[in-house]
Amino acid sequence: MEYFKRLINFITLGSSRPIRRLAAYYGLIAVAGVVLFHFFPTLDGLLTGARLEQLAKAPALLQDGLTSASGTSPIADLGSRLEFSLSTVFVFLSTLALMLPVTWVYMSARKGQGYNQSIVQALIVLPMIVAGIVLIVRNSLALAFSLGGVVAAVRFRTNLSDARDIVFIFLAISVGFAAGVQVIMVALLLSVIFNFVLVLIWRYDFGRGVLEPTAASQWAEPLDDLAGKDQGGNTVPDRDLVLALTPTKVDALAARFARVQAIMGRNGKKPRYDAVLTVTSGKVGDAQKHIERALDGVTKRWKFDEVVTNSGKPSELYYLVRTRKSVSRDGILTAIRAGRNGDIVNADLEIGDALAREAGEARKERKQQEQPA
Amino acid sequence: MRRTPRAVALSLCLLAAVSCEGAQADVGDVVHSSVALARVQRLAQRRADSATTTDHSAPLAQWLLPHALQEISGLALTSDGRLLTHDDEVGQVWEIDYRSGAVVKRFGLGAGDIHGDFEGMAVANDAIYMLTSRGKLYEFAEAANGARADYDVYDTGLARACEFEGVAFDRAANSLLFACKLVLNAASRDSLVIYRWRLDSDSATRISRLAIGVAGVLAANGWKALHPSDITVDPLTGNYVLLASAESAIMSVTPAGEVVFARALPARHHQPEGIAITKDSILIISDEAGKRPAIITLYRWP
Repeated sequence: MEYFKRLINFITLGSSRPIRRLAAYYGLIAVAGVVLFHFFPTLDGLLTGARLEQLAKAPALLQDGLTSASGTSPIADLGSRLEFSLSTVFVFLSTLALMLPVTWVYMSARKGQGYNQSIVQALIVLPMIVAGIVLIVRNSLALAFSLGGVVAAVRFRTNLSDARDIVFIFLAISVGFAAGVQVIMVALLLSVIFNFVLVLIWRYDFGRGVLEPTAASQWAEPLDDLAGKDQGGNTVPDRDLVLALTPTKVDALAARFARVQAIMGRNGKKPRYDAVLTVTSGKVGDAQKHIERALDGVTKRWKFDEVVTNSGKPSELYYLVRTRKSVSRDGILTAIRAGRNGDIVNADLEIGDALAREAGEARKERKQQEQPA
Repeated sequence: MRRTPRAVALSLCLLAAVSCEGAQADVGDVVHSSVALARVQRLAQRRADSATTTDHSAPLAQWLLPHALQEISGLALTSDGRLLTHDDEVGQVWEIDYRSGAVVKRFGLGAGDIHGDFEGMAVANDAIYMLTSRGKLYEFAEAANGARADYDVYDTGLARACEFEGVAFDRAANSLLFACKLVLNAASRDSLVIYRWRLDSDSATRISRLAIGVAGVLAANGWKALHPSDITVDPLTGNYVLLASAESAIMSVTPAGEVVFARALPARHHQPEGIAITKDSILIISDEAGKRPAIITLYRWP
């Protein structure tokens, strides 16, 4: 898997853009498919369902009535057995290959809210099972009814918290069906189009009311105003604040800024923390002990900021972290997750770049001042 | 700029792979052809072995037919030696490689599958003929696999004289031979009746009748009657060879109507419906499905 990741990194030039990485993955799949069909042209019929039609037709080679008492010639069956085994393996592997990017998109799209690992695993396994069932049932009405009876006897019900999770499950079933009826091309297109559409929906936050401002736009402007520089210090005139705030709100804001100042440190020094670690966990106590042991090893310093408990859902733990140059973001997250798959639902590290931006702006200003001279 | 060489290299790899497609043989075809080759070799070996024995009742090969051919009826050989057969009820023609037991192709008659009581098939020159029990003759040209062939229908006008069960092509007489399974004319009921239908004549003179006295044959074999289920022409002698399903018998007569031999078939035939003899001396008999599946059996001939 690591090698595969490196291959995708190589093709995408290390780009972290999901669309590029998905395109690279499907490109690799296409190359692998072409190579496979080149060496095993008999699999070509699996793309379009022609193979299924061929199976439904009369056998190309009749059974030998002399060499086999039961009327079945093992030699005559050798070809079809080999072909059948090959095509069945290909069907299962293709569902795996086509569902992998779907799970990646699922995990990425649900990073904020936290995703359910069992759904991720179901997305991988479910299409294989569906394909296997369809392969077994084929055109047999009797088998289909028998399967209905068996499935009716097994109760499996689970509540999916998000409608989008159901969509992913339906996609997994569709890919399994398409692979099972040996129309891999449809499964491929399902996977490709679904993933790209979902990434675009995610990217452009589709579905939000166009009249409602985004969270970013709500916060960006006042923050820019407060932090921005002008001749007087900031662009929000004090009289506007006087009109907008009450003494209680001013006290609350002052307390928060004082807290942030304590965390960040004094001006002229390096900030004490440059990243926020967010961990979602169902077992806060156990997770906290593990996280803090891990942070000791991979960060310069850290500070437990707060825990937000949610009823019926995993709690969120926030840590302020000062990162080390020698340890990457992935390295920190790997250390956090290592060996604690059961406790930690999700972990994310957001590294701030405000200091770097401020330094960049200062350099720019210096250059502008030097130029007229 | 850095991205261009990689993109070009990837595109070239893809193009190279696509352009090589088709160079490899199909794995399934390879296995099938190897099995078919083994079967052909085994048939040749059995033919060679049977040359040293006088007992020709042991089959050289036997192929179990698919479900769609459970009602197999007539057999016919093309001029280049390919075996054609058909279903009793549906106008569909199958080509089977009798040496390897491989289904080569199948094609249908008309726009949709026509239904009828098809009892026999013959190939004359470039045309294929199928005969119904009521004497209707369907003429069509051979078609490709999966294709549909246009056809012409001729009424022989013999529905009141006979119930037909087989047809063959006599090259020497340039005629189709219709084997009469059940003679409806009371005056000829003790005879074996074959009608000749000339292909190069007009309707007034094209039909002639050959009635063969078989009283001696019946007495010698203990049969009460003979009901031919198919007819073919021996390519070595030009004699007419008839198959009788009800009696499980095979009989050879000269074009002049003299009986050459008549004998019972080996016991393994449950409902023989079609007969053909190849130029390389192989007798092919088809059996319709009954308690056992439909089969094609090959014997050494004569």
